[in-house]
Amino acid sequence: MTDKKMLLAIFPDVNPAAVGIKTLRELGIQDDHVDVISGLPITEAMMGRKKHPSHVPTIAFGGAVVGFVLGGLLAFWTPISYPINVGGQPIISGPPSVVVLFELTMLGMLLSTFVGVFLDSKFPNYEPKEYVTEVSDGKIALLIDCLGDDEDKIISALTNVGAESVRQAEAHQL
Amino acid sequence: MAVLADSTKSFAHPIEHDHEAHLREEHLMLDPRPRGEMNAMVMEAMTTTSWKFWAVAAFLAVVVVICLGYYWGYMITSGLGVAGINRPIYWGIFLVNTVFWIGISHAGTFVSALLKVFKAEFRRPFTRAAELMTTFGLVQAGLSIFMHMGRVWLSYWLMPYPNERGLWPNFHSPLAWDFLAINTYLLSSTMYLFMPLIPDLAMARDRSTGWRKSLYRVLALGFRGTEGEWAHLRFAMNLFAFAILPVMFSVHTIVSWDFAAAMRPGWSSTIFGPYFVIGALQSGISAVAMVLIVVRATMKNMKYFIRPEHLDALGKLMLIISMAWAYFFFNDYLVQWYNGDKWTDLLLHFHEEGPVGWMWLAMLFFNIAVPWATLWNKSIRRNPTALFAIGFFVNVAMWFERYIIVPTSLSINRFPFTYQFYKPGVEIPLSFGTLALFILLYMLASRIIPLVPVWEVQEGQMAHSLKKFGNESIITISDLEE
Amino acid sequence: MANHNIPEVKANWEETSGVWGMSIDMDVCSGCQACVAACAMENNIAFVGEEDSGYGRSLHWLRVEHTFEGEYPEVEATPFQPIGCQQCGHAPCEPVCPVFASVHSKNEDLNLQVYNRCVGTRYCANNCPYVARVFNMRDYERPEPLPNQFNPDVTVRRRGIMEKCTFCIQRIHQGQDKAKADGRELLDGEVVPACAQACPADAIVFGRLDDPESKVSKLSKAGRGVKLIEELGTLPRVTFLEEEKTYGRTG
Repeated sequence: MTDKKMLLAIFPDVNPAAVGIKTLRELGIQDDHVDVISGLPITEAMMGRKKHPSHVPTIAFGGAVVGFVLGGLLAFWTPISYPINVGGQPIISGPPSVVVLFELTMLGMLLSTFVGVFLDSKFPNYEPKEYVTEVSDGKIALLIDCLGDDEDKIISALTNVGAESVRQAEAHQL
Repeated sequence: MAVLADSTKSFAHPIEHDHEAHLREEHLMLDPRPRGEMNAMVMEAMTTTSWKFWAVAAFLAVVVVICLGYYWGYMITSGLGVAGINRPIYWGIFLVNTVFWIGISHAGTFVSALLKVFKAEFRRPFTRAAELMTTFGLVQAGLSIFMHMGRVWLSYWLMPYPNERGLWPNFHSPLAWDFLAINTYLLSSTMYLFMPLIPDLAMARDRSTGWRKSLYRVLALGFRGTEGEWAHLRFAMNLFAFAILPVMFSVHTIVSWDFAAAMRPGWSSTIFGPYFVIGALQSGISAVAMVLIVVRATMKNMKYFIRPEHLDALGKLMLIISMAWAYFFFNDYLVQWYNGDKWTDLLLHFHEEGPVGWMWLAMLFFNIAVPWATLWNKSIRRNPTALFAIGFFVNVAMWFERYIIVPTSLSINRFPFTYQFYKPGVEIPLSFGTLALFILLYMLASRIIPLVPVWEVQEGQMAHSLKKFGNESIITISDLEE
Repeated sequence: MANHNIPEVKANWEETSGVWGMSIDMDVCSGCQACVAACAMENNIAFVGEEDSGYGRSLHWLRVEHTFEGEYPEVEATPFQPIGCQQCGHAPCEPVCPVFASVHSKNEDLNLQVYNRCVGTRYCANNCPYVARVFNMRDYERPEPLPNQFNPDVTVRRRGIMEKCTFCIQRIHQGQDKAKADGRELLDGEVVPACAQACPADAIVFGRLDDPESKVSKLSKAGRGVKLIEELGTLPRVTFLEEEKTYGRTG
């Protein structure tokens, strides 16, 4: 077997990039060997790819549950652990508990959503990575994980469908 | 002011054949430029500073040091006696400022999240400028609360944490809810500011050198824009846009409960929750307009991103919110007047005819008469100088409104023997201190982070196009996210 | 106290008679301010000076109200009325404190202010319908020899905290301890707060409200007894005996 290679193809726009992905599929390179890098949020559907799996919704839901439980502890457990009568209000009182539960549930959900983005995207990560700065100028880059044998085939096929350049990807400090 | 005056020319009388050209000139979304060019424009706006910028920043820094550093230190070491509070006016301008700044902070989230939820496209170039106001406004609100406390060095006792005393905060108290709500709002609005910023920080990282490069490298967290990164970010931003709205409503409602839950004539009002929320938007949206006008006039290349159409849209929002505010004000007033309670009646008379009755009249004039008389007019809405003035008056009026609710209403209680007037002391320099700190933080941030979310603008420009229906060119918008 | 037949999530609206109470006879009060002075001595209340006092910052726990009604020359004076903390059974000041500095005591059924918990939000003072609470605006000076008359049983308060009438809870405890040491029940009239002790007209009567035979219970239930703004449902423990103008005050 030959060694593996990482190619980086730069496309000027969404449409040629989508064609490029189709071409790669025809060359037998599966979607999970290709990653799209873009400077704006193009959807997976535009590229004709499967929806990217994300744990963020699950983490957000988990955070909401944790927040709700923490809110419950604050609203119900803390007054029981140190009962103090204030103004004839019951130790465990309904309406104030709703406020506490609401705020902590929202806080739990939003914090965990934020943390979820960090976990799923592996932020922060300052390792050298394959990247070209043209991406933030609106170009769309495809990172292609392929076998060394296929390199020439891929380069010519992608150039044919409008790639501005296809070259060996190099990891460097961002 | 010469820079401000170029607005009204563009939309004079569109002639049939260059209708399309007019549409493109009018709408940022129809006037696309290459992404690289927009990046360069935003980078230039961020890195360009004149001596005037530094002079103003230095002046504000001096004001902050004197007003916040010196006077606050003086007040902490000598007690709240140097402020103007007394019995029965236990809450003064510090609480007025707290409510005011929380109100300012509401507009950022409103403009950004609510307009995103409703897919109002004109929001795109200035969501970040508005969100920055939320974060820095909340900082001032928090500082004002700390100023207000008698023993600020023990303020951490409001935090729910297991402690040696075995004692937790009292969750019956609206102030404990406030603590939870304001912190939730501060954290979530800061996260909501940061997430759409990551791609722009990566953009700035790609085209800067020196200390900026090191800073953006750290802040951009290693973002490249891979499919996965965008997918996670997109979901998170959507969820935030929906979830932060109830948090925003809860924050100002809880602030209103500080008053509405109390057994006081004038305060114990069931309409206070929505009344305060609308009041917050009234001052906040005017403040967004003011900030945008200043940003547009003073920062390079901003005339491309912020156009009369945006001022127009904000002017319309200001007019609608002003009508809503008038509705809630009248509702509150009518019900208080109708119930005939003698102390409430006395309080209403005191509001109108008391020593600060002029404030009550000015509040109504600037909050209702001024916006209603001017903002229906398109050319006034699109005139930066005029809109800035209207926004300023509305903000003054909203500060008056809070002043009437807090110290003026506290003058009246059920024991006439205790009546007093309120004469502010160090509240005045401290108020200017928070204002100076807000402007200073905003100025510095405008030169450190990209103030325009370039990728959002580009996304919007991709989605917009003109379509011919017969002879007429009509703007069409594709929904890229579906 | 708490009625456990009422579900816990609802507020406890059960009327309770209270434990300690006070009655103030407005008919005999001459407005001499002796109660105010005695209270200040007993409770280590700081003297705020002329300027702060004039600006409404005096720290007295009692104020003798006296106002005039009507337009000159048809002016009528209201009776002298010493007002302090009414020790509400359902005190509005208590639930609003975020740090539990204003709480209800179970044994005495009094409204307590815990000085060292107070962080100075002053919400309690705003929510007190009787305007009974005072706030330490500064660390007021106590020139010599004033420190020599400090009452060792009462905390000296510093700047930034709320304070209010305690019904001289230190005297209640002293009386209870003494009775316990002697192995007997506390007698009616044995515990006398400073204001009642100093009152030359004996307008202020203090005692147990849960003892129907005590002097204060009988006075409170007599026809003249009124409570201040009791329509708010605060259950005040201080009863004012309305003026009958028996002693010739024409007003």
